[in-house]
Order: sequence, then C-alpha cells, then structure tokens
Amino acid sequence: MTKRCAALLLVILIGWAMTGMGLAAEKPVKIGFVYIMSGPFATYGQFAKQGAELAIDEINKAGGINGRKVEALFEDSTGKPDVGIRAIRKLVFENEVDVVMGLDSSGVASAVAPVMNELKTPLIITHAATPDVTGTKCNRYTFRVSLNVNQNIAMAAAIAADMKAKTWTTAGPDYSFGHQSWEYFQKYLSARKPDAVFLPQAEVAFSPAATTDFSAFITKIMNSKADGVLISLWGGNLIDFVRQAGDMGFFDGKREILMTLGAATEVLYALKDKMPEGIWVGTRYWFQANDTPVNKAFVDAYFKRFNVYPSYNAHGAYGAVRSYAAAAAKTKSVDKEKIIDGLRGLTIELPVGNITIRPEDHQAVTDGVWGKTATDPNMPIRILKPMRKFAGKEITPPVAETGCKMN
Amino acid sequence: MEGFLANVLNGLSWGMLLFLISVGLTTVFGVMGVLNFAHGSLFMLGAYLCMQFVRWVGSFWVGLLAGPPLVAALSILLERFLLRPLYGRDVSFQLLLTFGVMLFLDDGVRLIWGPAYHVVNPPALLSGVIPFFSQSYPVYRLFLVILGPLVGLGLWAFFSFTRWGKILRAAAMDRQMAEIVGVRVPVLFTAVFAFGAWLAALGGALAAPHQSVGPAMGERIIIESFIVVVIGGMGSFPGAFAGALILGLMNSFGTTFVPHLQMALPYILLAVILLTRPRGLFGGEA
Repeated sequence: MTKRCAALLLVILIGWAMTGMGLAAEKPVKIGFVYIMSGPFATYGQFAKQGAELAIDEINKAGGINGRKVEALFEDSTGKPDVGIRAIRKLVFENEVDVVMGLDSSGVASAVAPVMNELKTPLIITHAATPDVTGTKCNRYTFRVSLNVNQNIAMAAAIAADMKAKTWTTAGPDYSFGHQSWEYFQKYLSARKPDAVFLPQAEVAFSPAATTDFSAFITKIMNSKADGVLISLWGGNLIDFVRQAGDMGFFDGKREILMTLGAATEVLYALKDKMPEGIWVGTRYWFQANDTPVNKAFVDAYFKRFNVYPSYNAHGAYGAVRSYAAAAAKTKSVDKEKIIDGLRGLTIELPVGNITIRPEDHQAVTDGVWGKTATDPNMPIRILKPMRKFAGKEITPPVAETGCKMN
Repeated sequence: MEGFLANVLNGLSWGMLLFLISVGLTTVFGVMGVLNFAHGSLFMLGAYLCMQFVRWVGSFWVGLLAGPPLVAALSILLERFLLRPLYGRDVSFQLLLTFGVMLFLDDGVRLIWGPAYHVVNPPALLSGVIPFFSQSYPVYRLFLVILGPLVGLGLWAFFSFTRWGKILRAAAMDRQMAEIVGVRVPVLFTAVFAFGAWLAALGGALAAPHQSVGPAMGERIIIESFIVVVIGGMGSFPGAFAGALILGLMNSFGTTFVPHLQMALPYILLAVILLTRPRGLFGGEA
C-alpha cells in the first residue's frame, strides 16, 4: 500500500516538475506578417512568406531570439488599406504579436503607418516604397528595411542621364506610387540633365490598377514624341504590359526603356523569354548582385528549399526578421519600446549588403542595383548583365529632404 | 490617322472580349432572372483550364475547345444542386450564393495552381504581327476583333431561327406560360446556365494568350461586364454587343484624349444611362 502511495506520489511529483519546466520555458516571440496573399498580386505574398519562414527556421535552429523560439503569424492585406489596418489590429490585440512586418502596397503603408503610433507596436516595412512613411508620416514605431521610391528613382535618373533619350514619358499605375515615381524621376533627371524634356500629365500613361488590356496605353506612348519611357508598373500589370507591348512592337529599339521594378523574380518567372533583352530594370534586391558569403548562403538555402530564386520581396521579409533579431540581441529584450532603440541606427549585414537604419527617419540606407536584362542558358529566367551598383549613401536623400519630423 | 485606327482596333478587341463575357451574363439574367456574380470566376476557370491543356498537349486550340465544356459541366452541377433550391426565394439569396461560389472558385484556383502568374502563348498561326502603317499590330488581336462579331452572329441566328432559341425567348418572356404549353423549364434553366458558363469560359480561354492568367483575374472583368449589361439593357442581346463596343472604344479613346477621366468614364456613362434610359439602350418593356 505504501509502495503504491509512493509510486503515485512520484508520478504526481514528476508531472508537477514537468509542468513547472513548461512554465519556466518562456513563451515564443511572435512576429505578425501582413502581405498580399490573395488576388492578382498574391505571388508577392507567397515569396515574402517563404523568405520569412526561412529566416525564422534559421534563427530557431540557432537557439531563437534571446533564447526564445520565434513564431510567425500571417495575415492577408488584400492590398486594401482598411483590410490592412484591420489585419494589424487583429495581430496586435488578439494574437499579441511583438512586432509587425511586411506591407506591399504604398496605399496600405500610408494608411497603416499613423496607426502604429496608437498601437505602440513596431512595424518593419519590407516592400511598400512610398517616401511618406519615412517622410511626412514618419513616426517612432515605423521602420523600413527596403529601398524606397526616392532611392530607386535616383538610380533610374542616373541611368537615364547616360541615355540618348531627350523626351521622357511614363507608364505607371494610377495611384500614388506611379505618380510619385514620375514626379521624382522628373526632379532627379532634371538635376542631372537640365535639358531633359518631360511630356505633360495629359500625355503620359497612368493605368488603373485593374487594367488588363494595356493596348490603348501602349498606342498612346508609341504615338507620342517621347523617346524615353519610365515604366513603374509592377506585378500582374507589368506582365500584361510587357507581353502586349512586345506584340505591338513597343520594344523595337526606337525608345529607351527603364522598368523600375522589372527585376522582380515574380515577374521574370512568369515572363521567362517574353521579357525582352537589353532593357534596364530595377529592383530592391538582386540575388546575383554580390557574392558575399551571407548572400550565397541565403540564395542557396532559399533555392534548395523552394526551388526558385529569391525575389526582392523574399529578401525584404528575410531581412526584416534578421534585423529584428539583431535589435533584440543588441538590447537583450523584445520589449516593444526597447526594440525601437535597438532598430534605430542598427547596422547589419543582410544578403543585399550592409544596411543602416537611420535613427532620424527610420529608413534603411541600403545599396541598390539596376541591370540590363540578358539571357543565361543555365538560368530559367532573364538575368541582369551588365549590372550597375549604387552605394546606399549615394542614392538616399538627406534626412532634411524627407520632411520627417520624428515624434 | 494611324493613331485613330490603332485606337479603334484596341477598343474593338477589348470590346469583343467584354462582349463574350457580358452576353453570357445577360442571357442568364434574361432567361433565369439570376445575376451571376460567379460569372467572372467561370471566365477565370476557362483561362486556367486552357492553360492546363496547353501544358498537357501543347495546343492552344485543344484548350479553347476542351476547356469551356468542362466549365459548362461544372456549372450544371452548380445550377442543379446550389442554385435550384433558391429559385422560389428572394433575389438576395441568389446574389449571396453566387458571390460565395465566386470566393470558393477564386481560392480553389489558388490552391490548385498557386498564386503565381502564368503565361499562355497564342497559337503559332496567330502569334505574328502584321505591318500597320509605320508600326505593327498583333494578329491575335485582329483575331479577337473578327471572332467577336462571328460569335455574336451565331448567337443571334440561334435565338432567331432555331426551335431551341425560340423556346428560350419564350421562357424568358413568360415562364409560367411556357410551362403551360409544355416547355420543361427546369431543364431549360440548367441548359441556359451551362451555356452562359460556356461563353464565360470561352472568353477566358481567348483572354489567356493576351493577358496574364492569375487568381482573381475574373474580378477585374466582371465589373465592366455588369456595366455593359446595364448600359445595353438587362437581358438584351444586341444591348450587350452595343454596350461592349461602347465601353471598349471609350476605354481606348478615353486613354488617349481624356486620361484623367478614363477611369471614371464607364461609371459616368452608367449614371447617365440610368438617369435617362433606366432600362438601358436596348432594354424593352419585358
């Protein structure tokens, strides 16, 4: 009898000890991701999710963030500002995440950034490029690790300045991103080349985001007197545009063409050999742009796991998780306020190279690359050759120009 | 002149695609009184199936011929098991149901084929360009411009001269009377719904080579199709043709001449039509 009692006691004690151990192990660090996971731009969300998962698995394998496991939660913004805000509120209030990352659309980012002040939760933007969120709408909680419109267009203008084209027009999406791209292009190119001419607003081609037939816009550009075209279309819009423009003889060599987001692997995988050769294309990250060990390890691991080459969106998500982990290590905490001090002024080596998050406006100073589309028989998609690399300092406007007043 | 003609062709080719989608929508509405929100998803399914056939057998024509009947078969199941129990009820039930089917199909497509964009090449016969003044124009677009009126003519002949066409029109005009004279209306409804789905899928298969195939591609076209149907007159066949032409041309010329208004033009036209001719351009008293 006493034996059985002792056995029972032992079982209870062991059980208790194990629960105690369970309690002692800390809860995981929760990261909430908000991307476009459905609709015509869903493939961008897919790549970002893969990049995030890769980073989190690597970190967990190496012992987690400050000894705590990392857990990811994904929400769909559908590319709409109200849905994006709702998704972030849900992540913060219901799932109690420690940090929010992601955002593809500039429209969503502009609406979300001011809300972060009220949610008192750090947000790391990885794709949306509107200058406002690290400019006029900058705030304590909003950061961006990816290139913004100013930085990308500064590179476009540098390349355009060396081209023969005199008169420029644009094909872009008819919302803030397209208009801001065109506005900054005029500003930066005029500074480099004062005699550059730009078609007036009524003669350029801004297409609604839902456009699938671009023929009217293509005809309009082909019949204009412009000999240079800045294309800021992206995603499905860019794929449709390139295919239809190709059919209509748009790439006949009579005009110089710059595609600000043409080197998105999402687009290149869809177009394959339908992407014309010899076109200057931009991106926020290109997987062949540098051969640092960090980049090689990232590209190899990504390709091995997902069987595609990482896009800039995959890199953005990967880089945000890595930056957050670095900030947490620096401050030895994941406290929302302390993390902000960790992110401010953080310098970290990512696959894209060294980035530094400016403490004044929370924009990352990161190197950029543009390249000419070319064929490589060993690659399933167009590659960039030659490439033109730009140092982050060269292409990032000074804080004074951003209009940011940090609260 | 060159720009003008290019705009006409651009407008016509887009208009003809719109026509194929809206004519199915308007027929289903005209005969059955059902506003099918899932019509755009059937369009999308047509494009995906065409792409799948191109992958399997490498021929666009097989996809064009084999894809749409499969979509029609699926829609028979939809009509028979989902829509039919709702005929006696309020219209809002049908709207909710077809909206649900749309969400279901959109996500289903994403589960099967993934979220990425896909590209379908036009068949070799239609993939070139023809010289067009100092520029060139894609043959595939001309093919669309010609095909639209042919399909329209075929449908018109079917409705005007065949027994089935006449029965359809009779049932649309007065369902009860048609039943009394011995028309089996339930079978007829199933056939009409499948026919509308076939047209949507045909439009999708034809759209596949000239735009990217991706999830939610149906959402983009269904809104314009609804505008076409309302402008032309709900249930009107020539109305769909006229509405699609107007919208197509307005799209191409609007882009060139009034770029700031281009996005709003279809809605302005819609408002004007609803105010001045609420039944649409060709809407009768029926």
